Amino acid sequence: MAAAGGSSQADEVHGQGTQELFAVPETDDSEFYQQPFEPVPAMHLSLPFIIDGLNTETSSRQLSTAQNILKSVKQTPIPNRPWIFYWCINALAALGEDVGGYNDRTVASLKPLQHKDGGFGGGNGQMPHMASVYAVVLTLAITTYHASRDLSEAERFKVYAESFGWIDRKRLLQWIRKTKLPSGGFKVNEGGEEDVRAGYCALVTLALLDFDEDELKGDASLGESPLLDGVLDYFQSCQTWEGGIGAKPHAEAHGGYAFCVLGALCLLGEPGEVLNRHMDLGRFISWLSARQYAPEGGFSGRTNKLVDGCYSAWVGGCWAFVEAGANGAESARSSVKVNVGSMWSRKALVRYTLTCCQSPRGGLRDKPGIHPDYYHSNYVLLGLSAAQHYYYYDDRGGSALGDKSPFGHGFCWRASRNVPKPSSGDGDGGGWEEGLVQREEDRVGTQHPVFNIPLGAEAQLRAWWRLARQTAPDGEAASD
Amino acid sequence: MASYADSDSEDGLDYSTNPAWADVTPLPQDDGDNPLAQIAYSPDYALAMSYLRATMAANDHTPRVLNLTAEIIDMNPAHYTVWSYRFKTLISLDAAKQLDTEELTWGWRSELDWVQSIARQNQKNYQIWHHRQLIIDHLGDPTSERERTDEMFGLDSKNYHVWTYRQWLIRRFGLFDEEELAATAKLLEEDVRNNSAWNHRYFVVFGKLGAGKPAEAAVVAEIEFAKKAILTAPQNPSPWSYLKAVLRKGDIELATLQPFCESFSPILSPDEIKSSHALDILSEIYDEAGDQAKAEKASPTLYFKYHNPVAQSQRPIR
Repeated sequence: MAAAGGSSQADEVHGQGTQELFAVPETDDSEFYQQPFEPVPAMHLSLPFIIDGLNTETSSRQLSTAQNILKSVKQTPIPNRPWIFYWCINALAALGEDVGGYNDRTVASLKPLQHKDGGFGGGNGQMPHMASVYAVVLTLAITTYHASRDLSEAERFKVYAESFGWIDRKRLLQWIRKTKLPSGGFKVNEGGEEDVRAGYCALVTLALLDFDEDELKGDASLGESPLLDGVLDYFQSCQTWEGGIGAKPHAEAHGGYAFCVLGALCLLGEPGEVLNRHMDLGRFISWLSARQYAPEGGFSGRTNKLVDGCYSAWVGGCWAFVEAGANGAESARSSVKVNVGSMWSRKALVRYTLTCCQSPRGGLRDKPGIHPDYYHSNYVLLGLSAAQHYYYYDDRGGSALGDKSPFGHGFCWRASRNVPKPSSGDGDGGGWEEGLVQREEDRVGTQHPVFNIPLGAEAQLRAWWRLARQTAPDGEAASD
Repeated sequence: MASYADSDSEDGLDYSTNPAWADVTPLPQDDGDNPLAQIAYSPDYALAMSYLRATMAANDHTPRVLNLTAEIIDMNPAHYTVWSYRFKTLISLDAAKQLDTEELTWGWRSELDWVQSIARQNQKNYQIWHHRQLIIDHLGDPTSERERTDEMFGLDSKNYHVWTYRQWLIRRFGLFDEEELAATAKLLEEDVRNNSAWNHRYFVVFGKLGAGKPAEAAVVAEIEFAKKAILTAPQNPSPWSYLKAVLRKGDIELATLQPFCESFSPILSPDEIKSSHALDILSEIYDEAGDQAKAEKASPTLYFKYHNPVAQSQRPIR
């Protein structure tokens, strides 16, 4: 649904065509990035405590806005274009849109971003950057999944080969090696800053491109050491005196970095084991619980900071890991398998999302009074998905341990519409939480808790890698 | 000659007619066929980037690169590639002893001043502070860097990037000193809820120890510091967390806090409860002492019953 008219100024800048280019409803999107923020109203005074639906009108505006942004972005000098692809594509997918139609153009758009020495930059000719690499892999995983889901297996694998076969895995791995620090941490690029974001993005990339133990071990004769050496200890050292997790050792506890560390740990181990071994889970839970504020219902990223819709994903996303970790700890203590159930106020987050994060003109936002943007649109929806679904770890038959990839545990996440109420700890089922979704059309899609892509896309991608590498054992999958 | 960070000129640099750039053929951006989310850059920006791509391809680190990168950074301060290339150029010019010469009136100090001015305008930026870190690391001299970060805290005392840089500075130059401790005290005097300052204080006092034991005097002093802060705002979570962390670090039992906590939250007089954090600790203390009935009573739910409806549904876990 291309909005009529469009901005003539935008057309001028492009010098190509008319309404295909940049047309957003009502106002010009470049304002999102340029206008100073308005003061935040006292939301608890002005908002009724009722559950609104996910406004179909505004969410479809969100859709059309995102679809338009995928055509062109006007003068937004974001140095990391793959983020725009990922935020928009994933937000559209979460809203139930089929994004398969974007697959061919996505591939064509990403090819010029691959650096000759490996990895992806934020734009053509730019140095590789870990966040670009991460966003590229996620975007391709989503569009390919949608583009191939109704096809026969043979046809499906052909689509995957075209989407992923051109990625230079070997050089990408060499580049990631150059970002690794002796401490076990990673830098976002060569000569760039160190933080756990880089480590998380690196591990997600390696997992989704199906690198195995042998490849990661490296060639000692070339002076390479095993890539994952020291990584767990490094992540562990980022837990702070508050119980939360910071960007690197000694940095202040912060929801975004906490998500990165928990996600990364859950790629490397079974949550019930790895989170109890490499964290003080009890202190982390105290800190995480304190991130949800009353009366807003949303999450803050740090102690004594304001609620922001994007932490719905970063803090909200931690709960699936924590619940799995607590199940592990409680089960180890008792002789039976314990399910502690839901540990956070999902209803409060749903309420904050629906009443405060929907911009009347489309898109989702930090809080009332602040412009929506594509970053917040995606992460607010991811948070809503975390609240509406129960995500749980289930390694059916212990497949993760036998896998030759060290990331097998990342492929054992499932989702259920039934959210178990908190149990009293003695294993009794307390029934299901009610009222999280008022109308089924308000439900957003299931998302993989570690990878932040539609649940199922990760398994499909891995299935293709396994087949491709069987036929081309050197790991370089051929694309026809 | 124009300043090497001349980013304020209205018309940008006219590369196509400028003799200094006559030898360079600009390299346009390849976005692929029928691209998604093609960014409609301004003509100035697109042209400057085309010259940068050509410059990088030729591995050109001559003084003109400083002008070019400054112009791009001014338009797009999060452009990590440009920052990185600018730093390499500065290092290369420094090695050739070309900085701060008659031909090039630009050096590390002018660079640092310019970076500070960019930082003031772009507070949520990773690259600026990393660039500064690379320079100060290269110079090996932290002089007046604390003042530079203090200035930024005047604009936003919780700026994560600036705090990250400040911690690096303290560790790199071993500045775990009285001045640094006083700086955190001053920030907390201005805003006792500044959790970033609490975090930095913990780092200054205990950060260099690793797993080592702290001096008893330091532990006692920090306990007193936290208690004083709690008195000014009993429902402020930061000093309570700090207090617990200091006790843990000093191997002191939580039970020693019982009288202090009870003074804020007498569980038998719920109307007089002033702090859920005190209740939280009391609940833990009673629990450890085996007094289940009291522990139940001291659950923070008691506080939220009066103060905080949403958090009631949060299930504390032990």
